[in-house]
Amino acid sequence: MNALFENLWVQNTLVLAGLAVWAALLVHGSRSERWRRAWLRLRKDRVGMISGCVIALYLGVGALESFQIPQPTGPSLSVLGWMTRGVPREKSYSAPLARTSLSVAKPEPLKGRHLLGTDALGNDTLVQTLRACRTALAIGGITSLIYIPLGTLMGILAGYYRRWVDDVIQYVYSTLASIPSILLLVSILMALGKGLGTMSVALGVTSWVGLCRLIRGETMRQSERPYVAAARALGQSHWKIVLHHLLPNVLHLVVINFVLGFSGLVLTEAILSYLGVGTPVGTPSWGSMIDGARSEFSREPLVWWNLTSATGALFGLVLSLNLFGDALRRAFDPKKG
Amino acid sequence: MFNYLIRRLLYAIPILLGVMLISFVLSFVVQSPESRARMQLGQRATPKSVAAWLHQRGLDKPRFLNTAKDAPLLDSQFFNHLGKLVTFELGVSDVSGRDLKEVFREGALPSLLITLPAFLGGLALAISLALYQVFVRHSLADSLGSILAVALMSVPAMVYIIFGQAVIALAFNYFPAFGFDLSGWSTAKFILLPVALMAVMGLGGDVRLFRAIFLEEIAQDYVRTAQAKGVSNARLLFVHVLKNGMIALITLIVAQLPLLVMGSLLVENFFGIPGLGNTLVLAIRQGDHATVFASVYLGAILYLMGLILTDICYALVDPRIRLS
Amino acid sequence: MIPVDVTAAFQRGLGMVLGLVLIAGCGNDPNPRPLRKTRPDGSPWLVMYSGMPEEPRSLDPQVAYDQMSRRILEPVVETLLEYHPFKTAPYEVVPALLSEIPRRELQADGSVTYLCKLKPGISYVDDPCFPGGKGRELVAADVHYAFQRICDPKVGCPVFGNLAEYIRGMSQLYERAKKNGDQLDYSEKLSGLEVIDSHTFKLHLLKPYPQIIYWLALHFTAPVAREAVEYYDGKPHTDGPGGRERIRPKFAWHPVGTGPFVLHEYRPGHLIRLARNERYQTTVFPEEGWAPEKESLLRPFAGRNLPLVDEVLFTMFREELPVVLLSRQGYLDEMRVGKDAFNSFVTPSLKLDQKYASRGMSLEKNVELSTFYMSLDMQDPVLGPNLKLRQALSCAHDTQAGIDIFRNGVPPVAQQLIAPGIFGFQPGFRNPYGFNLEKARQLMVEAGYPGGRDPKTGRPLELTMDVNATGAQERQVAEFNQRQFQQLGIQVKIVENTFARMLEKEDQGNFQIASGTGWGADYPDPENFFFLFYGKNFPPEGKNISRYRNPEFDRLFEQMATMENSPERLEIVQKMNAILVEDCPVILEMNKAFYVVVQPFSPRVQNNTLLEGGLKYAWIDHPLREQKRREWNPVPLWPLGVGVALMMGAVFYSVRWNRRLDV
Repeated sequence: MNALFENLWVQNTLVLAGLAVWAALLVHGSRSERWRRAWLRLRKDRVGMISGCVIALYLGVGALESFQIPQPTGPSLSVLGWMTRGVPREKSYSAPLARTSLSVAKPEPLKGRHLLGTDALGNDTLVQTLRACRTALAIGGITSLIYIPLGTLMGILAGYYRRWVDDVIQYVYSTLASIPSILLLVSILMALGKGLGTMSVALGVTSWVGLCRLIRGETMRQSERPYVAAARALGQSHWKIVLHHLLPNVLHLVVINFVLGFSGLVLTEAILSYLGVGTPVGTPSWGSMIDGARSEFSREPLVWWNLTSATGALFGLVLSLNLFGDALRRAFDPKKG
Repeated sequence: MFNYLIRRLLYAIPILLGVMLISFVLSFVVQSPESRARMQLGQRATPKSVAAWLHQRGLDKPRFLNTAKDAPLLDSQFFNHLGKLVTFELGVSDVSGRDLKEVFREGALPSLLITLPAFLGGLALAISLALYQVFVRHSLADSLGSILAVALMSVPAMVYIIFGQAVIALAFNYFPAFGFDLSGWSTAKFILLPVALMAVMGLGGDVRLFRAIFLEEIAQDYVRTAQAKGVSNARLLFVHVLKNGMIALITLIVAQLPLLVMGSLLVENFFGIPGLGNTLVLAIRQGDHATVFASVYLGAILYLMGLILTDICYALVDPRIRLS
Repeated sequence: MIPVDVTAAFQRGLGMVLGLVLIAGCGNDPNPRPLRKTRPDGSPWLVMYSGMPEEPRSLDPQVAYDQMSRRILEPVVETLLEYHPFKTAPYEVVPALLSEIPRRELQADGSVTYLCKLKPGISYVDDPCFPGGKGRELVAADVHYAFQRICDPKVGCPVFGNLAEYIRGMSQLYERAKKNGDQLDYSEKLSGLEVIDSHTFKLHLLKPYPQIIYWLALHFTAPVAREAVEYYDGKPHTDGPGGRERIRPKFAWHPVGTGPFVLHEYRPGHLIRLARNERYQTTVFPEEGWAPEKESLLRPFAGRNLPLVDEVLFTMFREELPVVLLSRQGYLDEMRVGKDAFNSFVTPSLKLDQKYASRGMSLEKNVELSTFYMSLDMQDPVLGPNLKLRQALSCAHDTQAGIDIFRNGVPPVAQQLIAPGIFGFQPGFRNPYGFNLEKARQLMVEAGYPGGRDPKTGRPLELTMDVNATGAQERQVAEFNQRQFQQLGIQVKIVENTFARMLEKEDQGNFQIASGTGWGADYPDPENFFFLFYGKNFPPEGKNISRYRNPEFDRLFEQMATMENSPERLEIVQKMNAILVEDCPVILEMNKAFYVVVQPFSPRVQNNTLLEGGLKYAWIDHPLREQKRREWNPVPLWPLGVGVALMMGAVFYSVRWNRRLDV
């Protein structure tokens, strides 16, 4: 399974598929009156629009890193790698904009200047930080591909059918929720092996519970509404009611939950790196950069640029996601917020 | 209500069984008993010592059902394990051979000494900040506070700890940078910094949540009536809104209370506090499955206790549930 | 409106916060309180504060085989012989529990006998396992019991194979126990260890084996009290306080010895506390042998009773940051300079940074008796038969660059298998397959992969490298190594493994390149390195991870193993070294070395790498430490002021805003 996920094309396809699902959802949703009103409100929300643009920027950088250009010699190169191929590689650490390396024995002249310095292996920190966008987006994208359908479907089923369906689904998620989630994550990752794909699977397994609970409650509330009773009276099939009536009415909750949950996923990646089950070697990620900084902080002169760049980039994304999520909530539900 | 509680308690049993099954299966998928033995016996172990290690712990028995001829059907690893947990016989650590009951007893106090003050302090701080925001609502300070709260949520926990250790402990020498000693009042010096950091880590989310709750409360009719009667803004907020908001708040947070015993993974590790979080990380790294198992079990029980506590709270607040 | 007494209020607030911090804090000393403040005679109770990066695996002297366990065992369980703390060139073994170094007597049938005498009047520490709780005298039967335990399959002594080959009767005892369902009959005597009287025993060897002296200085052969093993069984007993049932610790976690210290407290993951053994009198501080520059420091201790400190406290540090922080604050007495802390302590010219030098700290370099290398699987269909390919890989690896990046250039590049300081080490020897990229590319052509490509398929050669990658640093090292080999145009895939999985793969030979393998010497003899490539030493029983087999090498090994050091032996050792380097079953990396920052109040009494700490010789200058700690931990007040100011600002702001709301 891990080998399958290691294939770059498989990963790219999955990310694209995730994006496609989202696009489809948005198109689907935009037909409803509620979504159109929310969009109008969102457009006036300055904080929301700015954070939305920032997220789009991150997506763009991630996409640049995702698409590969085959090279005649050696392994293929990503678009971002191709764009930054002029950035020289140093031997080891160097400070931002320094002319000499932060070397052990003797400072040596560098091959070029680096805006944010270089890391232990001499990679440009700025490039690494940008490349790590893809990791964050891939984790978010693949995880959402797993947990959103699962959580939404289970939630609606439990909320609509009630009785034993509800009991079974509640039992499954209560059991999963009873296990400390970090332990569950670590053990799944240890069982499946490290990798972007497996990490997404593990995160998917642990994160659908919250969504499921949310959707279940909302579905129950919606089922009491007259329109569902009317549909039933008209003799529509259960599936039709679920797909055409209930799903559109809980979809906005899914979107908000996803945007806010995304930030949680990115932060969890950092903790998993600390526990030694983060991304595999050679996959730059903010989590592993922050984890590496644990020891860099005891250096002198302090190697602060790796921690700062990774934290900065992560902070920017998570902050934008949170603010955008809030804006979405305000847009969909103007009474609260 | 009594019946209701009994029902909730009975409902917890199948969940616990499920937890045990999942954790049992995972533990074998994660690391076979053979590799656990190797890990414990070290680089220079021999196949003989590995076999002896397995036999001592009954890990050479079948996994789920014992189909051997003269053996009882349920004399398998899973059912033996299950039986022990049900009778709260947690067994001994795979690595040190210490009684796990003792390990947990010893670890619970340091963990609670960190998490409980952090929880209460964080709560008090978050409530005051949320009240402050509501007090100055719709001002520049309010919006700045909201953004700051989101910003606090967006910083990884490790960054807080690294900062706290490197700056507050080292540059300012206010607190020990590491360590723990249970020695009466002077224990305070060890827990102040980790407690403060933990409180700040959870602050952003809490302030946001509480602010929303208080704002909802302040929009209620009774507030407007009181305002019309000439009750001062401050009194209104600190007496009426706080009191009513707290009810909603307590039902929200009471579920977290029992889990405080489990401590905090990151904070305990960075500060060398011998609590349960530390025990757990050590157990994961050493492949001490007996300890990990027992922790999962304990965590699940505490989690379920939290759920039941929440139910009780709801029942106390909302009389309708008592009837059902 | 601002109140008039704002400055007064500000000061009062600041004072209160500060007071709280001070009352609760009592300073920033992170160390737990010592067992006592003063000795019975009123002089200060000396505590040494040390750290440990990981847990010991077992404290059973017949089982423990890792560095951390040895660090605890050495001060608690004494060995028959020990290394002289100061004499390291060459290393010298001196008596500990034995009254003198046993002499060997050649028998007519080619076997060898050693007559050993225990010092009289040595007793075990007081422990509940002895009748009345009072430690009894050490007798020769305890040595016999320890040797029986080595043969006990249930104990699982990792060096049983090494000893059984030379000591009479051990294999038979083991085999009989195996047949008896792993039950060793302890009433059956081991013929190789003959007890003459209560303090005398004879050791019978099957053939000459001069290294046996070194084995007597390892804790595997340390005497063990049978009472202790039987008492500490890890089972519940009803002799707890108040007659309650309590689980006794296992013997592996409760060593009972005759050493200078007692294991007073062990809290896994937290701390280990050793306390002075009041009855210790086996050895005293040596009266000679130190380096001339240490004369003034060590002369006053000569002949003094050991140990010099009363308590040793090991704190478990799983992070490096706190180690550096606590050392800078003076709360740790010794500190190994890790990679990341390096630049803060050591200047480019490899001196201690002025900032620390002016504090009275100093720097010492230690080279361990160890060699690290990457193992290549000799039974792999690609690597095994292709000598040139192995040589090319070896030439492509820029070991020095890796050492510079990850170890600050401290450890020397290993040019040969034997570590410096051991008989047979050739100081001027250069590995002919050391880093040389031109040569590597040439060798690739000869190996049949010009430009790293297989001419038949036209695709780059693909190899996998297994690493044990858990931390951030190991991951970076793996990436570095990968890049080294890829310079040849080949593809190297990294497989990350857990510690256990890595060992499993090494045992099964289920790898191509295994990085991070190596050996730390048990004793200073080339035999202890060459056995790693002896053809009869394949895993899982032996440690020949590369599965290297060369009849000529094996023949020379058998010949050399039983010889005393002599010019002939040296010649054989050099011949074996040449064979190994030419065959490249491993890519030699380095001899582990590190710098130690020495605090002014805790001078380094000895730096013998065969001792695991030598704690009984350690000493602390208590008054100086107190003084330095005060000097190094000033408390600035301005950040508190800033905090209080911010809070007050917020309060004023809210009051004014709210007034506007009301209006």
